[in-house]
Amino acid sequence: MSDSSQRPKVTLEDLLRLKRAERPDAEFWGKFERELRQKQLTALLQKRPWWQELPQLLARRSYLPLGATAVLAFTLVSIKYYAPSQLAQEETRLNDSATVAGNMTVTSSAISPVTPVSSALLNRNDQAVSRLDDRTALAAMNVEMPAADQNIEVQMPQMVAPKEIETPSARSIAANLARLEQSEPELINSVVGNRLSSPARLQTASLQVNDLASMPTSASKRSRLLAQYSDRQLAPEPTAPAIVRERLSRRLGDPDLYDRISRLGVRGDAVSLKF
Amino acid sequence: MNLTKVFTKAIVTSPERQQEADADFMVVKKVQAGDVAAFDQLILKYRERVFGVVYNLTANREDTSDLTQETFIKAFQSINRFQGHCSFFTWLYKIAVNTSLSHLRKNRLRSFFSLEKIQEDGTNAQLLEQLTDKNGADRDTYLHELQQKLNEAMQKLSIPHRTVITLFEIDGLSHSEIAEVVGCSEGTVRSRLHYAKQFLQGELGKYIRS
Repeated sequence: MSDSSQRPKVTLEDLLRLKRAERPDAEFWGKFERELRQKQLTALLQKRPWWQELPQLLARRSYLPLGATAVLAFTLVSIKYYAPSQLAQEETRLNDSATVAGNMTVTSSAISPVTPVSSALLNRNDQAVSRLDDRTALAAMNVEMPAADQNIEVQMPQMVAPKEIETPSARSIAANLARLEQSEPELINSVVGNRLSSPARLQTASLQVNDLASMPTSASKRSRLLAQYSDRQLAPEPTAPAIVRERLSRRLGDPDLYDRISRLGVRGDAVSLKF
Repeated sequence: MNLTKVFTKAIVTSPERQQEADADFMVVKKVQAGDVAAFDQLILKYRERVFGVVYNLTANREDTSDLTQETFIKAFQSINRFQGHCSFFTWLYKIAVNTSLSHLRKNRLRSFFSLEKIQEDGTNAQLLEQLTDKNGADRDTYLHELQQKLNEAMQKLSIPHRTVITLFEIDGLSHSEIAEVVGCSEGTVRSRLHYAKQFLQGELGKYIRS
């Protein structure tokens, strides 16, 4: 080690400038060039992975509109198929209301083909039930269901049975049916089930409807339940045998009744009966 | 030519650098158009400067050779991404610095110095005469000792400080160019430079006059 105290001192900048003089010789650069050329050829032949080309592709201006369109399309598809839960609930509610409306239309149209006697009886019963249905369902809809359930309100008038026509024939049919209910309750029960106009059954039905109406469920669920209930009430009984139904209709038919009544004569203090 | 001036005016400060940047950009355009051989001009022009940056950061001549080649290969592969927002040499320096820093981080525990011999050509002769006793017999020994002490002191600096002082004092880049290459503000560059000089003066106190 030399004696550095006797050496001339320089600045730090001069000393650092000395570093510029640390350079390799010409032979080194010859070797460097050969190696670099070889590596350059290898890099030219080497296939680069696609993710390294991605920034270059994105940087091209011609791809910008295409990319923007793709992003927009993807966003729209995402919004359509992966909507938030609120939209999904709204959609479910709309579907429910459509189902209820469809059920109501079907059941109201199914009332018409029933025979005149049963339709008159059912009308009386259905009128009461449908009034209850209307009141509860409409109350529920007015309170809880927004504009999405307006279809139900539009469809509800179809549920309302036509006004009862108080014809003599209908009155006599009702009387006959009341007698028949007392004499053969099983037969009546098997044929028409709980559709009779007995006050107790009517009261039970109204209580059931009230219970349903007071349930703290959502409007759609309540409407669905009410629709199911009314459907069950108005649909023809599937368990009633065909023979019994035919016999009953024969016995209660208008020509038969007219024939029976015409054979009964009342004159002053005498009653005549034709056989 | 005007187009290149628009692209490169943000970083390039002096008119000479501006002309250099414009010339480089024309060559780059040729390479981007498919003239691969044009890239050799850029290699010949910048290989010694890139070598110097890498060498002063790593202090190992074998590693420096590999890293310099790697720098040019990376630049060649990414030449299509260069759009002239900065000068080509700033862009190339950035690649060189990042490649070197990545190498230093990977080989943090391995510190082996292999120094280049000081080339005593015309430009360095006056400086070498100042540094050494021209009549002394142990001139070469003293130069070697000085070189070793300087390298040791440089390697004691942290990588960001070493980078800044290398680019400023050895390669002659401006503060704004260093900020562009390193990716920090000019204030940070000045601060790091000041700290690095203070540290080196402390380490090399007996060789330099304050």
